[in-house]
Amino acid sequence: MGVGDAVKNLVIRNLSKTYFDVYAGTQVTAVRDVSLNVPESEFISIVGPSGCGKSTILNMIAGFIPHSSGEILVGGKPVNGPGPDRGVVFQSFALFPWRTVLENVAFGPKMRGVGKVEREKIAHEFLALAKLSEAAGRYPNELSGGMQQRVGVARALANEPDVLLMDEPFASVDAQTRMTLQEELTRIWEAKRPTVIFITHDVAEAVFLANRVVALSKGKVLDEIEVDLPRPRVWDDLHENEQFKSLTARVLQLVRSA
Amino acid sequence: MTKRSFISALWFCAPFAVLIVLWAILIPYFDVNPRLFPHLTAVVQAGIEGIQDGTLVQHIGASLLRVAVGTLLALLVAIPLGVAMGVSPVVSTFLTPLFRFFSVLAGIAWIPIATLWFGYGFGAITFIIFNAVFFIVTYNTLLGVSTIPLHVRNAAASLGAGRWAMLTEVLLPGALPNIVTGIRTGMGFAWRGLIAAEMIATNVGLGYMLFVARDFYKTEVIVLGMIVIGVLWLLLDRLLLAPIERATIERWGMVQRA
Amino acid sequence: MKTFFLTIWSGYVRLTARWPSIGSIAPFIPLIAAWWIITELQIFPRVFLPGPVDVVRSFGTLVYTGILPEYLQDSMVRLVVGAFWGIVLGIPLGIFIGLSPRAHTVLWPPLLFFQAIGDIAWLPILVIWFGYGLTTMTVIIVYTVIFPVVLNTVLGVRSTSITLHRAALSLGASRARLLWEVVLPGALPNIITGLRNGLGYGWRALIATEIIVGTSGIGFLMFDARRGGSLVEVLLGMIILGILWYIVDAWILAPLERATGQRWGLVTQ
Ligand SMILES: Nc1ncnc2c1ncn2[C@@H]1O[C@H](COP(=O)(O)OP(=O)(O)OP(=O)(O)O)[C@@H](O)[C@H]1O
Ligand SMILES: [Mg+2]
Repeated sequence: MGVGDAVKNLVIRNLSKTYFDVYAGTQVTAVRDVSLNVPESEFISIVGPSGCGKSTILNMIAGFIPHSSGEILVGGKPVNGPGPDRGVVFQSFALFPWRTVLENVAFGPKMRGVGKVEREKIAHEFLALAKLSEAAGRYPNELSGGMQQRVGVARALANEPDVLLMDEPFASVDAQTRMTLQEELTRIWEAKRPTVIFITHDVAEAVFLANRVVALSKGKVLDEIEVDLPRPRVWDDLHENEQFKSLTARVLQLVRSA
Repeated sequence: MTKRSFISALWFCAPFAVLIVLWAILIPYFDVNPRLFPHLTAVVQAGIEGIQDGTLVQHIGASLLRVAVGTLLALLVAIPLGVAMGVSPVVSTFLTPLFRFFSVLAGIAWIPIATLWFGYGFGAITFIIFNAVFFIVTYNTLLGVSTIPLHVRNAAASLGAGRWAMLTEVLLPGALPNIVTGIRTGMGFAWRGLIAAEMIATNVGLGYMLFVARDFYKTEVIVLGMIVIGVLWLLLDRLLLAPIERATIERWGMVQRA
Repeated sequence: MKTFFLTIWSGYVRLTARWPSIGSIAPFIPLIAAWWIITELQIFPRVFLPGPVDVVRSFGTLVYTGILPEYLQDSMVRLVVGAFWGIVLGIPLGIFIGLSPRAHTVLWPPLLFFQAIGDIAWLPILVIWFGYGLTTMTVIIVYTVIFPVVLNTVLGVRSTSITLHRAALSLGASRARLLWEVVLPGALPNIITGLRNGLGYGWRALIATEIIVGTSGIGFLMFDARRGGSLVEVLLGMIILGILWYIVDAWILAPLERATGQRWGLVTQ
């Protein structure tokens, strides 16, 4: 990668976060000295038990909360505040209830000043990618949880972000739907090749999706594990795959040992 | 669609037809003293006279003008103020009880002080309406904005929404259900406050018309005024406020209520 | 600087978490202070805006002479009597209309209309019928309270699901038991909402009535003072009304509404 190139990579150096807990009146350190290097078009999963600081890291990258020390660079530029270069998919969907599905997906382009006809074209394209074309005119509350989250993904992607940040996006849908969504996400990733940070506490999900799994515990990175499973990945193949099983077992052991 | 709503309108009116027929028959039959309750014909005649000599139109016009001016002024101040206070969790937590207190007090209880500050007349009455709507709408806007989930605001920010877009695309629509409910409640109090204030503090308006008629035992004018008041409010509430509430809130699925 | 502010806010949050009433009193302190400063600086003439000290002093005098306790009691009794009849008549009527589709078709439109006329508009004709007195006031308050109670009860009854009815019937409940065990509890959250709205309108109607036809009560106190040009007592009356209603609403009605509605997950808001 040459200097000055508009690359979509993400670099994190010695990142820490200390919260001031208003209710307890004390300081809480949630993330300690985390460093990560995510090249362009890589898919990274971060796994770890509840409360280990996964969301905190993601929120800092997204710019929702300030970091206490260290550096976050997206495409070489330091992060300060939320911005359209980083798309976010939320666990609770965070769709705008007062906007139709189409308008939700067109929101990012609208903010960029794209005209109505053009942005609806973009939105339709990404809705088609998420297999949601029929639902375009409906309101979010008229959709199932799985469909809502596909809107969430389409909305984040329609803005063509450098980095896609996903915080346990499939945690609140049922098991079957979750597997479908995971397969679709890998398909979409192969089509668009965004840089992705995917947060989950489900080890199998982390391995299934990622090129690299980062195990986190008590705010610290334990280890990083390469996943070189072939793509396209579908659950029917991987269920019996020995490499998948051993990788999953390794990550699980790592997370549990801490 | 139109045929169905026509039929349901017919059903809505049918009970009134029965009531009117009963009124036309029973009052003459029992020979009720017109100083206690008027004949239907007398009320109709009073209505026609009022329209012909313009007094009824004048009273209605005065009342509606006061409501319109008071409400409009209140909304112009209340909504921006409520939004401004609602965006900060600290400010909204701290100030909520204050606005709750004043919205509890809003309307009629201000009549004595309003007449002292503004004298008897247009000023005092408009102030009563302003105040009934203002506190309740401010309180509800504050509440509405502060209950917009943080992740929805974050989502908009990460899609590239600036301050203005955040206001028009997220804060106002998000608070709209509360704002509309606030306007409906506030105007309910304002309408009653208006009638009360007009009985005390002026020489034109529906409340005044009723109160003066009582001095001369003109029950037909009193009943005419009551019917006008009821019809006006019903039209305002059912044809203007309730449909807005339904169109926005129910479709968005943000509040499920009667 | 930021930590300093955070520490203060944290202290406040923890304080109000332990004693919630502090949270509802604290915001009034700066307000009263501002009021006091403005009156001390004489920005507005004192007749137009008396200070907090004057109000407290007049509170003392009125309590001492016994006028305030008497008037307060009068107002409260009227409100309680009105609310009582509103509930006693309103709930059964609401259940009847809610259960019978025919009654609903016939009675619902007039109910909406008569509610729209509004309490105060009845005052002139009631005065002709009953004169200036307790009957007029009671009728007004009952009239005000009853409509929200009836309308909300109807909504509540009609929204209890048919499955629940069937479940209860198949479990062997008689019609009467069904009413008591299913319909009433199902409608209760709505009934309480109706009561809350009804009382909100009711006490405003009471004040207006006391102002216009009254011979005693807080509304009368305020308007009497206004006629004499004494703003102190007007303000005192407003403050008492505010506090009284705030206590009833925030500490009794709202928790009751929350306890039934949210506990059972029936009201989603
Ligand atoms: N706003 C906050 N104020 C104080 N402490 C916080 C705050 N947010 C998070 N924490 C603390 O920071 C730590 C990490 O929280 P975080 O939400 O990042 O965990 P997580 O790994 O995302 O957990 P989960 O899997 O449950 O979502 C926790 O101990 C939490 O209590
Ligand atoms: Mg989390």
